[in-house]
Amino acid sequence: MICCNISAHYAGPIPIAFEIPIAVGGGYVMLLRKFALLRRLAAVIALLASSTLGPPQLVAQNVDTSIAPDAGVTYEDILQGLDDPTRWLTFSGDYSGQRHSPLSQITPENVHRLVPQFTFQTGTTTRGRGFETTPLVLDGVLYVTGSNNFAWAIDARTGRPFWEYRRDLPDDLTYGASAPVNRGFGMLGDRLFMVTLDAHLLALDRTTGSVLWEIELADYHVGYAATLAPLVIDGKVIVGNSGGEYPTRGFIDAYDPETGERIWRFYTIPGPGEPGSETWPQDGDNLARGGGATWMTGSYDPDLNLLYWGTGNPNPDYYDEDREGANLYSNSIVAIDADTGTLRWHYQFTPHDTHDWDANQIPVLADLMIESELRSVVMMANRNGFFYVLDRTTGELLLGKPFTDTTWAREIGPDGRPIILNDGSKGCLPEPWGGTNFMPPSFDPALGMFFVTARESCATFVPQEPELILGQNTSGGVIWIDRDQGYGALRAIDVLTGERMWEFRYPSPTMAGVMTTVSGLVFAGDHEGNFMAFDARTGENLWHYQTGSRIWGAAAMTHMLDDRQHVLIPSGTTLVAFALPEDSP
Amino acid sequence: MVRLTSTRVFLILLFSAPLPTNAQTGNPYETDPRAIRAGGALFGARCAQCHGGDAKGITGPDLTLLWASGASDDRVFQTIQTGVSGSIMPSSAAPDLEIWAMVAYVKSISTVPEFDNDRGDAGRGEEIFSTTCTRCHSVNGAGGRLGPDLSRIATIRSRDMLIRSIRDPSASMAVGYRPVTVVTRDGERVRAVTKGEDAFSIQILDMRGRLQGYVKADVREVIREERSLMRQFGPDRLSDEELDDLLQYLSTLRGADSDRL
Repeated sequence: MICCNISAHYAGPIPIAFEIPIAVGGGYVMLLRKFALLRRLAAVIALLASSTLGPPQLVAQNVDTSIAPDAGVTYEDILQGLDDPTRWLTFSGDYSGQRHSPLSQITPENVHRLVPQFTFQTGTTTRGRGFETTPLVLDGVLYVTGSNNFAWAIDARTGRPFWEYRRDLPDDLTYGASAPVNRGFGMLGDRLFMVTLDAHLLALDRTTGSVLWEIELADYHVGYAATLAPLVIDGKVIVGNSGGEYPTRGFIDAYDPETGERIWRFYTIPGPGEPGSETWPQDGDNLARGGGATWMTGSYDPDLNLLYWGTGNPNPDYYDEDREGANLYSNSIVAIDADTGTLRWHYQFTPHDTHDWDANQIPVLADLMIESELRSVVMMANRNGFFYVLDRTTGELLLGKPFTDTTWAREIGPDGRPIILNDGSKGCLPEPWGGTNFMPPSFDPALGMFFVTARESCATFVPQEPELILGQNTSGGVIWIDRDQGYGALRAIDVLTGERMWEFRYPSPTMAGVMTTVSGLVFAGDHEGNFMAFDARTGENLWHYQTGSRIWGAAAMTHMLDDRQHVLIPSGTTLVAFALPEDSP
Repeated sequence: MVRLTSTRVFLILLFSAPLPTNAQTGNPYETDPRAIRAGGALFGARCAQCHGGDAKGITGPDLTLLWASGASDDRVFQTIQTGVSGSIMPSSAAPDLEIWAMVAYVKSISTVPEFDNDRGDAGRGEEIFSTTCTRCHSVNGAGGRLGPDLSRIATIRSRDMLIRSIRDPSASMAVGYRPVTVVTRDGERVRAVTKGEDAFSIQILDMRGRLQGYVKADVREVIREERSLMRQFGPDRLSDEELDDLLQYLSTLRGADSDRL
């Protein structure tokens, strides 16, 4: 389908500095010396040559909307994931969603020496939530999205911004995303891709922050919004929607990075008569407002050419009397053919959900030796408190074990559905924020351990029939949370058995994500504001730094810069970078 | 003038009260049960994340204490509309009627039953208070800091709840007043109430009224006590008659004298 409302827009970026710092030029030199790939040599030399004539990166003479060959990031670059240690080009670092870095300068032995390098202040606060982005980094420049439709290009050495982009929030914005957050950029060529709270997709010029094109994903007046980091694959920008608490119908879209034209759309809630529609009432308009939002970035298997994407709650969240049935494809993982947008397989974690336990957690791809057979799997620590391993070719369930102490269910039945032990009538259940949530987990393939922020909580759900009004929240109920019965924990899960290897407890349920490095470190955060490093094997805390604000929704990323490994974490209104002292061995 | 957006049209149909022409005329929905219910749904969607489904606060403050601490409907309305500068409490562009419905809802769950207290002598109660309670509790700025301030306690808590809190203080202990014993490396036991805590440190107010921070790795033990630092005032320590006197005194308190602030 061809999309509409494509328009140019140049008013957004606010240039902050017009001179390119020497350091960035130095960065290119360093790149050449240390890490440049031969096939990129020509492009780098061209950049160096032009930098002697003037700042090439930050002066856009004429905005060229075509993607020049060999300019900037290619699909092949993203495909190589974190092989180039100076880069972090996509939300999870690579397509697998493992958030596991090959960097090893920071080790369990020296991590206690980490010191802050800079603090970047966004100057924009988030209603009740966090600074949930993952920065991308290329050639010494960080590309960062923030709350309230802000974004920046930041010098990774100094924390000083090159440009700031701000898209005004409409006066009548509906908060379909629940909070005015954003999870990050996608990148291709010299373009950045960003979704907005008013449910648009933007292409920005990487060097100036100018808008090259923008398209409307859906009507924000209804409650549609968007917050995820776009996933760039070969010739496509993949995005999804927020707004499952509103009368919306979830979708996954593919757009042409060059023109913004829509290539395909997959609706997570089927149309009348389509497969899956039999899991909904046949009379009424439930399908058109069935929820199933796709508000977090999915993962991608380039060999199978399949996208793996989590879907959210059916709408209304808590009130279910008008949506009898399993309500496909809500609370599911869907495997989508990246060329056509068609469904290959699905697995529904929480059929007929009444607790807002979205399945929008990051799908983590890995190849595991299971009973002497190498299996290509997708793993998810789900909001319903279970850890799942599925065959990612077929969708076959290989493992489903609780990683929380939830009383809702303790095992998955032969039909692949959880065996419900407590529907809420036998005591409290995990609250709507769930046993974990969208904060990224990580996976260390060498250890076979999956690291996730687990949340133990106690809530009573009181459903109420909502008034269905476009642009208004239709959750359908009130939740009573017992704050005295809650805590958080970083947990390590053996992916072959689902057993808990270790945990580190936090005083309160926590929404911070996790990153691991090959040197055997787990970086995590907590609700009290600590950014921490743990020994991946034992769970021993090795280092912590009080950031001053809860770390919420964000996970760390890491990259090499001038031979020093940097680790970055967003917290509150700040982005803080850490590294070992310069005199460190 | 009131602009009739689609949302407002809906609200007019839903609620029977006439449209207010400005925000200063008091809450048109104060006793309208349908508006209160609608306000509850809006509250659940927009406010509960920080203030909790019961409005008793999670990361944001306990809103059920607003009226008891002297706030008016208009003041609460304005706070929702303009937000709290410098905090994460945002301004709201919601239509006035939606805000009024939320105000009505929060007020409806904040209402404390009339402090029914026709027994006891307030003068004798004040004497009991000043000899027994002021080491830990303050009224209008005078007294200790270890326990909660009681300057408005009878407007916040029911008589039954106050009796429970005096006869059996450990049954329910408020956040910020939970007892802890920190055992230092050299064996000193510091009894205190917990003011804050994270995975690595604890912030306390000790029995001597000192704010102290401890790094957990630097102490021998942090013991969370089951029993409140407040002793149990059973009938042997405080007769029923004395209890009536004390409650009578507390019921006369309405907060700090504005002249003194």
